[in-house]
Amino acid sequence: MTREEIFSGLNQVFQDVFDDEEIRVAEETTAEDIEDWDSLEHINLIVAVERHFGMKFTMGEVTGMKNVGAMADIIEERV
Amino acid sequence: MALTSFSFLCFFTITAGIYYVIPRRFQWMLLLAASLVFYYVSGGWAVLCFLLYGIVITYLAGLTLERVKEGSKRKGLLTGIFVILTLIPLFLLKYVRFFGLSAPFGALAPLGISFYTMSILGYVIDVSWGILPAQRNPFRHALFAAYFPQMTSGPITRYSQMAGQLFAPHAFSYEQIAFGAQRILWGFFKKLVISERLAMAVNLVYDQYPVYQGWYLVVATVCFAFQLYTDFSGCMDIVLGVSQIFGISLPENFTCPYFSRSISEYWRRWHITLGAWFKDYLFYPLQKSGLFIAYLDWSKKRFGKKRGKKLPLYTGMLILWFSVGMWHGGSWNFIVGSGLLHWFYIVSGELFTPLWKRLIALLRINTEVFSWHFFQGLRTFFLVNLGFVFFRAPSLRTALSMLASMGRVFNPRILFDGSLCRLLKPQDWVLAIFSLLILLLVSVLQQRIRIRETLAVQNLAFRWSLYLLLFAAVLIFGCYGGDYDAAAFIYQRF
Repeated sequence: MTREEIFSGLNQVFQDVFDDEEIRVAEETTAEDIEDWDSLEHINLIVAVERHFGMKFTMGEVTGMKNVGAMADIIEERV
Repeated sequence: MALTSFSFLCFFTITAGIYYVIPRRFQWMLLLAASLVFYYVSGGWAVLCFLLYGIVITYLAGLTLERVKEGSKRKGLLTGIFVILTLIPLFLLKYVRFFGLSAPFGALAPLGISFYTMSILGYVIDVSWGILPAQRNPFRHALFAAYFPQMTSGPITRYSQMAGQLFAPHAFSYEQIAFGAQRILWGFFKKLVISERLAMAVNLVYDQYPVYQGWYLVVATVCFAFQLYTDFSGCMDIVLGVSQIFGISLPENFTCPYFSRSISEYWRRWHITLGAWFKDYLFYPLQKSGLFIAYLDWSKKRFGKKRGKKLPLYTGMLILWFSVGMWHGGSWNFIVGSGLLHWFYIVSGELFTPLWKRLIALLRINTEVFSWHFFQGLRTFFLVNLGFVFFRAPSLRTALSMLASMGRVFNPRILFDGSLCRLLKPQDWVLAIFSLLILLLVSVLQQRIRIRETLAVQNLAFRWSLYLLLFAAVLIFGCYGGDYDAAAFIYQRF
């Protein structure tokens, strides 16, 4: 899967989870950039990303990801 | 050995003196020896044995779990076994009575057991998740578990943030020592001048209930809010200051929690390391478990996509808040006051958000002004205070009776007719209020500047006048008990 395909998939998941069609994520996007991305919504997002890409994050990765780029790195490695 | 006691100050000063004299490669060993001595002197052999048990179990857990294949069933099973083994002393010392069993160790004081158990449990889980390599040196592992400044009241630390600092050599730094000493002094001011003074009023009203009713309870509860904050955050100032003198930075546990405008924000500012621990090690794994994912699917099918995803979230939060309450003690007043009530606030706050927004639009309220933020702060403080009634009352039943009294007995005249002087002498009220104003000023400044760094660049005479004034205030206005030892910190009993 290419980096573009991963980000296209991530955009779909983010739009779905945060119920906002306007969301476009980039490498540097963090929770600070998306209004509803708090610690509670974070875990819903993780579960939705796992489902979309058919992979699993380890618990260490769930709490340690710095930005969407780091999330994409892990997806790229697993799928 | 209380952190405010003269014996602790002597012990700490001698340890710090030796720390900077011996070769740096031995510094961490000195800290380990000092930690074990501190724990033995504070709790005796029996309590030290519980600590050593925790160290041995989690050391072995790290070595074992590191070798097991990631994601295998065996790893899950072994992690579960080691988690249970780590929790056994906590269960025997704190929760056995809650489950209707008789306590096997009587009234043995579980000094700091809730704090260090969380830290070492976090280490086991981190190794199991593959975040950390296991510590191979048992003595280094023991220092992480037993590091004496943080042992009795936290903060709850993570191995990843501590390991590099604990075992590294630390050169003598005048700046670190000066900053550490200033922070200790500020902690003493909070504990001895404010907390201990307010405690006199709080204890009188709460211990003699139902002698004092209505607004007496309101005043005592507000006093308790400030007593608890200055006690716990003052303790953290001393702990972080002591650790800073050893060149080791501990995580902050408070960032002006009474400035919070919502309950969620309050928990991001109050006892930060506890909330973060439960979020990372309980709430996230729960939400990511197969059971909760199946629950999410069912819920979405049953209630629709948007509402359906909330139900597992609220259930997970219920378990989280129950655990936070339970952590404070195995009794329902803690479970309700520090747990379930806050869950109710957060969930009902979310559910009523659309209604609230409509009301704000209807009344054309400007939400971007100070007055609205002030109202939000007062509302949060009020809600937090309701929880404190449960926290401070001896039982759930008494707490409910006190809340009923606050609603039923309307006697606000006591605020103006001198009745409050039955709780504290007038000069103590003046001192308490004046000290709280200083605390408010410092808290406001903390939001904008780094106070100690700003002070450090001021002229010598100004700086030292300020330090000596604070020192004199602690000496003259501090409330000391027998042998000049203040009462133990409230959170020390957890």
